[in-house]
Amino acid sequence: MPPLMGIEFLCRVSDVLSDYLGGLNEDVIKDNFVIVYELLDEMIDNGFPLTTEPNILREMIAPPNIVSKVLSVVTGNSSNVSDTLPGATGSCIPWRAADPKYANNEVYVDLVEEMDAVINRDGALVKCEVYGEVRVNSHLSGLPDLTLSFANPSILDDVRFHPCVRFRPWESHQILSFVPPDGEFKLMSYRVKKLKSTPIYVKPQLSSDAGKCRVNVLVGIRNDHGKTIDSITLQFQLPPCILSADLTSNTGTVNILGNKTCSWSIGRIPKDKTPSLSGTLVLESELERLHVFPTFRVGFKIMGVALSGLQIDKLDLKTAPSRLYKGFRALTRAGEFEVRS
Amino acid sequence: MAPPAQSQRSQSPSQPSGKSEVSDLKLQLRQLAGSRAPGVDDSKRELFKKVISYMTIGIDVSSLFGEMVMCSTTSDIVLKKMCYLYVGNYAKVNPDLALLTINFLQRDCHDQDPMIRGLALRSLCSLRVANLVEYLVGPLGSGLKDSNSYVRMVAVIGVLKLYHISASTCVDADFPSTLKHLMLNDSDTQVVANCLSSLQEIWSAEASTSEEASREREALISKPVIYYLLNRIKEFSEWAQCLVLELVTKYVPSESSEIFDIMNLLEDRLQHANGAVVLATVKVFLQLTLSMTDVHQQVYERIKAPLLTLVSSGSPEQSYAVLSHLHLLVMRAPYVFSSDYKHFYCQYNEPSYVKRLKLEMLTAVANESNTYEIVTELCEYAANVDIPIARESIRAVGKIALQQYDVNAIVDRLLQFLEMEKDYVTAEALVLVKDLLRKYPQWSHDCIAVVGNISSKNVQEPKAKAALIWMLGEYSQDMQDAPYILESLVENWDEEHSAEVRLHLLTAVMKCFFKRPPETQSALGAALAAGVADFHQDVHDRALFYYRILRYNVSVAERVVNPPKQAVSVFADTQSSEIKDRIFDEFNSLSVLYQKPSYMFTDKEHRGPLEFADELGNLSIGEAADNVVSSQRVEENDKDLLLTTAEKEETRAGHSQQASFGIDDLLGLGMPAVPNVPSPPQLKLNTKAALDPSTFQQKWRQLPIALSQELSLSPQAVAALTAPQALLRHMQSHSIHCIASGGQSPNFKFFFFAQKYEESSNYLVECIINTSSGKAQVKVKADDQSTSQAFSTLFESALSKFGTP
Repeated sequence: MPPLMGIEFLCRVSDVLSDYLGGLNEDVIKDNFVIVYELLDEMIDNGFPLTTEPNILREMIAPPNIVSKVLSVVTGNSSNVSDTLPGATGSCIPWRAADPKYANNEVYVDLVEEMDAVINRDGALVKCEVYGEVRVNSHLSGLPDLTLSFANPSILDDVRFHPCVRFRPWESHQILSFVPPDGEFKLMSYRVKKLKSTPIYVKPQLSSDAGKCRVNVLVGIRNDHGKTIDSITLQFQLPPCILSADLTSNTGTVNILGNKTCSWSIGRIPKDKTPSLSGTLVLESELERLHVFPTFRVGFKIMGVALSGLQIDKLDLKTAPSRLYKGFRALTRAGEFEVRS
Repeated sequence: MAPPAQSQRSQSPSQPSGKSEVSDLKLQLRQLAGSRAPGVDDSKRELFKKVISYMTIGIDVSSLFGEMVMCSTTSDIVLKKMCYLYVGNYAKVNPDLALLTINFLQRDCHDQDPMIRGLALRSLCSLRVANLVEYLVGPLGSGLKDSNSYVRMVAVIGVLKLYHISASTCVDADFPSTLKHLMLNDSDTQVVANCLSSLQEIWSAEASTSEEASREREALISKPVIYYLLNRIKEFSEWAQCLVLELVTKYVPSESSEIFDIMNLLEDRLQHANGAVVLATVKVFLQLTLSMTDVHQQVYERIKAPLLTLVSSGSPEQSYAVLSHLHLLVMRAPYVFSSDYKHFYCQYNEPSYVKRLKLEMLTAVANESNTYEIVTELCEYAANVDIPIARESIRAVGKIALQQYDVNAIVDRLLQFLEMEKDYVTAEALVLVKDLLRKYPQWSHDCIAVVGNISSKNVQEPKAKAALIWMLGEYSQDMQDAPYILESLVENWDEEHSAEVRLHLLTAVMKCFFKRPPETQSALGAALAAGVADFHQDVHDRALFYYRILRYNVSVAERVVNPPKQAVSVFADTQSSEIKDRIFDEFNSLSVLYQKPSYMFTDKEHRGPLEFADELGNLSIGEAADNVVSSQRVEENDKDLLLTTAEKEETRAGHSQQASFGIDDLLGLGMPAVPNVPSPPQLKLNTKAALDPSTFQQKWRQLPIALSQELSLSPQAVAALTAPQALLRHMQSHSIHCIASGGQSPNFKFFFFAQKYEESSNYLVECIINTSSGKAQVKVKADDQSTSQAFSTLFESALSKFGTP
């Protein structure tokens, strides 16, 4: 048994269960054990994974939501299992439920990116790459055939696709051609490496002398994307050899948690001043200087921009229905964004 | 499924105590059984839920059986499912109920709703009651012919379940061949996939007893079946794709164009969202191109990006699994990944098991162009809060230094470590500096200056202390106060708890004595006295030996203890290349995660069916016979296990031997160029002996080992053994033929055979040669045990002549 098959399957089970039950913990499973049992029964038999596509499962076993309860009261049909067998099991498009109907045809595309970066104490960028996902939420009637193209697909280093994406058009023209599953799904994930700059800078300075260590950390915007950078946070672990810490900041709040983690939440960077954190750390009595230096983990969120620079060119629908709403969004978060000191 | 009987669990007062609630439920169920009022299913469902929850907490609700069955004559699938769960649970423990259950389920197997048919069949096959299997055959047979694919899918797995309950019933009903027909003709891919997995299991199990089954198993990896499955691969579910891909790895294409066809067809699988599919595809690519070196390299380039993406997406568990595989590939072909070294940089809050893998990979990919950056990065980790990782990264720096790239800068870094004043950093760095000096004695000046400044009081760890003492002794002429430091260490002899340190101290004082006698004399006397009085046997012996040899002749003593040393060129590798190859063959399995071949962590009876073929695949030349039964596989593996540990010892021994070569020579005991050739033996061998590989295998596993010995090779022989072929030709001239050979310098493995002249008596030999130690491990097996000694002498003399003109 390949290890990844096991791990992937378990991840899928947990996804499906939390999708069905709106969360995953012991109590929820106990309360809904019948559904859990039904789901597992369909997902695995004799140790071999069978159906794990949420759309098909939903056709076989209705989720315990309010809609279905209301429906069952109205129609008098109390079964939460559909009477018919899913048609899609035999079809070539196993991820799509059979022929949904919508009054409003909508499709939304989100670019969600996470920036991983490591910055050295001298401010040099050791490593910076973006891991991104194209998330699509589609509510389209019938069998829609979509094509999505990017303005600059050449920047992508490596891509992974949902099974619905046809490989040939991508290979020849970098066009994503697909029949989407119904609802929300991850169309594609990608990686962009060797980025040259980060949106914000963090400048930590630590100087120690005679059993004390002075800390001064500055945070600022490096180059303006024109979008506001939101919910900036900074976290670091104080080395175990520190007895006490006295840290204050001119913006936001500083908290030192029980496990010697210091967290500084800044939020937005104000126009008029540069946020800074300063204070002193008192070292253990035998130590003169600090030998282990903390690593600062930075969090931020930027709405409306994909930092990799990836841009969606257009989204087309073959045989477009009369009313079609298309929406695009982008968001970048900090992933593993570290600044060493 | 709900775990049965958990009655041990302490019952809290709020939980029902049993009896009264059960009879209460019974009454309610009975009332509902006949009712056809609307909404009755809902109340039934509530009751069923209650029954099952009682069942899971260990209350015996088997008395409700009749009522439950009566109530489930409904079209409501949820009720049915709960009822199946209930009956399935009690049929096992209660044979009286089992028959009732079977009747009930058999009836449902003819229901109009395919879902109910399928579910009933699944429950029926899950009963596992051995004496009721005859009731399974009918429903399964009709299930396999059902018009609905859902039922067929369930029935196929049902056949496998039946096989595990009663293999003979399953085979007698001719189900395997029905499955085969379904596999090749069914329109539903899930049915096909289930057939495939069931057939694989059934035929693998049958293969040991039935010729036909093993032929059928071979047929699964024949060209038509493989092509049929590959052509439909996009229709399969992702899990079934994994299954098919795993099968494809066992397929041996007849020509190279096939390989390219398969790879083209599967290329887009590398972009699949499911990591399991990607990894399975990677395995296919790697296995297919094993014999084509340049294409194999291109494959590495191609699979690199998908694997690196997989690492950065998904849960920590997923990335660890992928990372382990990447680790394996990096170790095999570091140069391919040398430009991607930044991917192996550690992130601050990664778990340490991930960091450790990454450190090893960073070490492996270091080359001229990236060493500086990698070492800079590693030095960052030395200041890491996580102490084990900090140590590991210092060690990694040292390993890179030993790889000979940009040593200059690295030595500076290591010396900086020594000045960091953290005890564990100093300790690790000392050990490394010692290793470095053994390889690059030219750096001694720079290092000694720094090492001399380290106070031995700050070094507590035995390894580090031993390293420091070794350097004090070795370079005492360059260190002003070496004798005095040693002297103070000797004074504290009793406080030194580690025998290793005391041994090193003895030797270091001796070395120091030869270089600076007047200053060391008193320390030496004290050390020898303390050493002789030591309770540790090794320390005692060494002290005594030093004492006696000094008394005998001081200059001889110096030649023994302090001979001029050659720089060490290669440090022994910890894992043999054979094991690494073995793990590579088991790519995409747990072996990679454990970094052990599967035979080291699985029980004999669970070993995979195709392992043996791999084993012979490693040793080229011989054509592996595939119709091998499992028992011999096991034995072969066991033998291998023994072999590899022996091999490890051998490399270790080789290592120490290398160090002591100088001493041997100085003592005038230089190895004789050719060992004494024994007198010509009586045995005559057939010069044109012939034996086919399968007979060889058969004999090898049947015969006991007649002789096992270790032979030394002459230096000329070692020099001549650059490739296995050289030895083959030589042995052939002595009528000893090779059937299989393999390995790379310094480890070679050969299987030889010979036949007695004008008789059909065979001799089989396994010979493992390690050229770095100059030793050969020989195992001889013979048809005629009485002549094995004579043959062995013959073999030895033939081997000893190897390399001589």
